[in-house]
Amino acid sequence: MNEQGHGEPISGGQAPHPRDELVIRFESGIDLNRIQQLLQQARERSGFSQESVCTLNLVGIYYSTASYERAQAALESAGTQHPCRLLVLIAEEKTPTDAVSARISVVRQGGTISLERIVLTATGEAVRHLESAMLGLLLPELPLVVVWGGRAEGDLLNRAVESADRVIIDSSTRPANALIDVAQFLAAGAPLGDLAWARIFTWQALAAEVLDLPNLREHRGNIVRAKVTCAGQVGAEGVLLAGWMAARIKKIEVELVAASEPEAPSPSPGGGDGQTGGASAAALAEGQITHFEFESPPATFSLRREKSILVAEVRGDDDGEVVHRVRLPLETPGRLLGLELKLLAGIDDLYASSVQAGIKLLTAMKPPKRKGP
Amino acid sequence: MPYAPEHDEIPNPLRPGLRAESAPEPCTIIVFGASGDLAHRKLLPALYNLALGTHLPAAFGLVGVAMNQLTTPAFVADMREALSKFSRVKPLDEEVWNDFAAGMRYVGGAFDDDQTFEQLTAALDELDRSRATRGNRLFYFATPPSTFPLLLKQLAKHKLINPPLDPRFTRVVIEKPFGRDLSSAKSLNRLVHEVSDEKQIFRIDHYLGKETVQNLLVFRFGNSLFEPVWNRQFVDHVEITAGEELGIETRGKYYEEAGILRDMIQNHVLQLVCLTAMEPPVAFDADAVRDEKIKVLRAVQVFEGPEQVLKNVVLGQYQAGSIAGFDVPAYQEEKEVSTGSRTPTFVAVKLNINSWRWDGVPFYLRSGKRMPKRATEIAVHFKSLPHSLFGGGDTQPNLLIIRVQPEEGITLRFSAKVPGERYRPRTVSMDFRYGTAFGSATPEAYERLILDALRGDQTLFTRKDEVEAAWKIVGNILKVTESAEAPAPFPYEAGTWGPPEADELMQKDGRVWRRL
Repeated sequence: MNEQGHGEPISGGQAPHPRDELVIRFESGIDLNRIQQLLQQARERSGFSQESVCTLNLVGIYYSTASYERAQAALESAGTQHPCRLLVLIAEEKTPTDAVSARISVVRQGGTISLERIVLTATGEAVRHLESAMLGLLLPELPLVVVWGGRAEGDLLNRAVESADRVIIDSSTRPANALIDVAQFLAAGAPLGDLAWARIFTWQALAAEVLDLPNLREHRGNIVRAKVTCAGQVGAEGVLLAGWMAARIKKIEVELVAASEPEAPSPSPGGGDGQTGGASAAALAEGQITHFEFESPPATFSLRREKSILVAEVRGDDDGEVVHRVRLPLETPGRLLGLELKLLAGIDDLYASSVQAGIKLLTAMKPPKRKGP
Repeated sequence: MPYAPEHDEIPNPLRPGLRAESAPEPCTIIVFGASGDLAHRKLLPALYNLALGTHLPAAFGLVGVAMNQLTTPAFVADMREALSKFSRVKPLDEEVWNDFAAGMRYVGGAFDDDQTFEQLTAALDELDRSRATRGNRLFYFATPPSTFPLLLKQLAKHKLINPPLDPRFTRVVIEKPFGRDLSSAKSLNRLVHEVSDEKQIFRIDHYLGKETVQNLLVFRFGNSLFEPVWNRQFVDHVEITAGEELGIETRGKYYEEAGILRDMIQNHVLQLVCLTAMEPPVAFDADAVRDEKIKVLRAVQVFEGPEQVLKNVVLGQYQAGSIAGFDVPAYQEEKEVSTGSRTPTFVAVKLNINSWRWDGVPFYLRSGKRMPKRATEIAVHFKSLPHSLFGGGDTQPNLLIIRVQPEEGITLRFSAKVPGERYRPRTVSMDFRYGTAFGSATPEAYERLILDALRGDQTLFTRKDEVEAAWKIVGNILKVTESAEAPAPFPYEAGTWGPPEADELMQKDGRVWRRL
């Protein structure tokens, strides 16, 4: 093992770092005891050496520093909502040098340490050490949740699925047909969570809500058709919403279509946690849902997105009356990840059945144009 | 509205398995007493924060009703100022506020004036049209208890209370105190049931909206470790303290009528007793939970006659003193308090619960104004070891402390070996603190309770029989302590934990109050 700076940690970053980060580099092997010592040193520097209140292990896995940096704010936002040890594994296989560096820091909140952060970046052959390093750095007993930043495939993901209580992906960052890989994992019993699924909670809740209204309950038993419209192209959220309808209602005919263009250049749905501060929903991104309609003759229920409001209307019953309006929550990845972290173990059966039904609908369509990897 | 299928209807096919909490139906909240302290400090901030958290329906209206003659714009401005002072989330989000304020209306007038209610009806009809609130109403009585009967009668007279099966819901939230004794509570309950149904009535006790109080149910019934020892075989006694360093502030007139027994014991403290002592409910729904709470109240030994009351109850009244470096006046020197007042500002009570689980386990309750600090907690004292192996050490009985406020959390005290050669035990703590284990901000009690009322969930609201059973317990104490022959409350210095006689209540059983 070699440490830069003659065995002493080096200060993090080129510029003064606000988080008092400690950095260490290993050229062969990874000394976990040294990482633990530095973590203790970071705690002591924070002035709260004994006051950690971690309730889970949150592991983020990425294939480039850039992709981690895009997700960093979301991980930290979710991590402070659910105090945790955050282990970030960055596997840069294409970098020729075999080395591992560790960046260690803590975040204080409410008079205690709410987040212990260890970022391990491995390059070249050293990538294969990441998994064992992760296992050695986990806090015992606490649930393990893996946030998966890549495509839903590969050995590292297989192993994460085997050891984690829950693995959270974001299908929206991939072409909709990548849900086929997700379906295979789910079929094998993988405890997957999906931020794309969390994004459609409001649509689902509103659709259920209108059927709970006393004067509309009579339409529950005769829903025969549904149509989900996405902006620009069919995205994972649309597939999941359509799949949910197909999974919930027998003999329904569900249509998935791409129509209107997005509101603005698409922000990366798996990207950072914008600090907008308000309650407005994010701009509509390509592939996101604009309109959701279902029919229970003679009534047609129409749910559409108007900026930060979801509006439900029913026609053919109370002709064109707006029956419900719901403000869309601020959809930052951090908020969505925080929502997903409320469920720390097990399989969301409704999600699994919606994915399975969704990909059947998707494969019955003309294949959508693939985005980049 | 929570999903509640009628028996002959088809279940909602889209409801099973959903993880999103359902938003309430479109509705209008009508706050009577909109110019008062409660509306400014608690209700408006709670409603705004619900809007900010996207928990309110977008089709939402708010009508303030009070004696003052204000215009709607003046009311909106007044409420905006209140939010800037009292909202837990600052600064104000302009987009959310503008949307929220657009649904606000104000009606000024006396509650005994029919014209006030005619104007109210017109305002509600207008909101139904302009805001699509669909005729759903939640009336909130943030007014003195003496106005409750009048408000109920006026709402009924002006046909503002729909029948319980009407698709347009009508709900009424009634603040404490609900009556001032058993007889007045029964009489108010009779009136409530003349004009509405129990399912439409939400008697609010904001203690039940506190996360830590709700956590008591999860702690007891969501863990296998504690429930087996939660009984007379393992528990020596239970101590419940609800103290505050504040005096009566500007509420002299109210407090002179109420006193500590009505203000704290009949509602908040007895609710804590219920949640501590209740059996597991058969389901987590409103009636199942309340069925178990009422069993506790019915099992509480009711004091019969002055001898039992004076033996088990100690009343006190604060004198001048010092709290946190500030001199504070005696109770009788406070505004709107009469000289020679016998109103108690402190009480210590020893209760017995005559049930299979708790027989012989005393519950010591104390509550007071002008205590050294604000502290509400439940301390479960476990029995001493039958035999001590480690002589000379500090083997204190185990103690479980549930802190309701502040520093919300749970502490378990147990013995550990002091490092070194000898086996010397010492009591140490395992701590859980709510604010640090869960990073997200805890909602205010009123936010949770208003949202539950909007959804029609009565679990955290007190039922008719609960209120009456609690009044029966407290009423028998009041009958003695408010009689002409009753001794005056014992004086205690402000900034102390009550009069020495409260210590004696414990000491005569060989116990002492916890030092907080």
